[in-house]
Amino acid sequence: MEAMETLNPEIERLLAAKEARRRRLAALPFPEKVRAVVQLQIMAAPILRARGKIVRVWRLEGLAKPAGE
Amino acid sequence: MEKTLQILNALEHDGVLGRYAIGGAMGATFYVEPLLTFDLDIFVLLPGAAGGLLTLAPLYEALRARGFAEEDECVNIEGVPVQFLPAYNALVEEALSEARETLYEQTPTRVLRPEHLLAIALQTGRDKDRQRVRLLLEQAPLDHDYLSAVLARHGLKTQWKQWKP
Repeated sequence: MEAMETLNPEIERLLAAKEARRRRLAALPFPEKVRAVVQLQIMAAPILRARGKIVRVWRLEGLAKPAGE
Repeated sequence: MEKTLQILNALEHDGVLGRYAIGGAMGATFYVEPLLTFDLDIFVLLPGAAGGLLTLAPLYEALRARGFAEEDECVNIEGVPVQFLPAYNALVEEALSEARETLYEQTPTRVLRPEHLLAIALQTGRDKDRQRVRLLLEQAPLDHDYLSAVLARHGLKTQWKQWKP
């Protein structure tokens, strides 16, 4: 039987940092998370529209209206 | 989104809605990392709906009267596409009655408990629900005794055994 391949320590460190970032994001206050969701919408909308999907980026108090909305 | 929630609170105050709570991806986002979604899923108890017909028509009419237009299966309320989901079974009714009261900025609102979000995802059973279950397990502050009781009450233990990582 072949030995299980081990991860490069640098990759392990990167994956651990990624996991820590996800946990930090999970701990943000809800309004900050909603702002992050709207930023994700702004990034994803052009790709989804190019695929023919109709999406609308939320209009959030205190955030500028994104281009194309 | 605060203005959207204020409109929902007004609808509840006026009796157009029996009770509402945030669910779906935004409900999950309350407990886990931000999840991409374009709809705000709002679970609602409709007045007089117990055992009767689940119709959103009076709610849509009240929203039209306030100047909010339907867009496909959503209603655009203050720049946020809201999808209303009437309480369609005992699990969702329980989830609504036990939803958490919270504040969004200065506005009171409710969010489904993470245990109910997980149970609803389990019951709905799509691929994206499986991912949501995994995220809630990893990141949400779950009360496992409470979750176990919810799953038992609503006949979801078998599904849970199949889905649990």
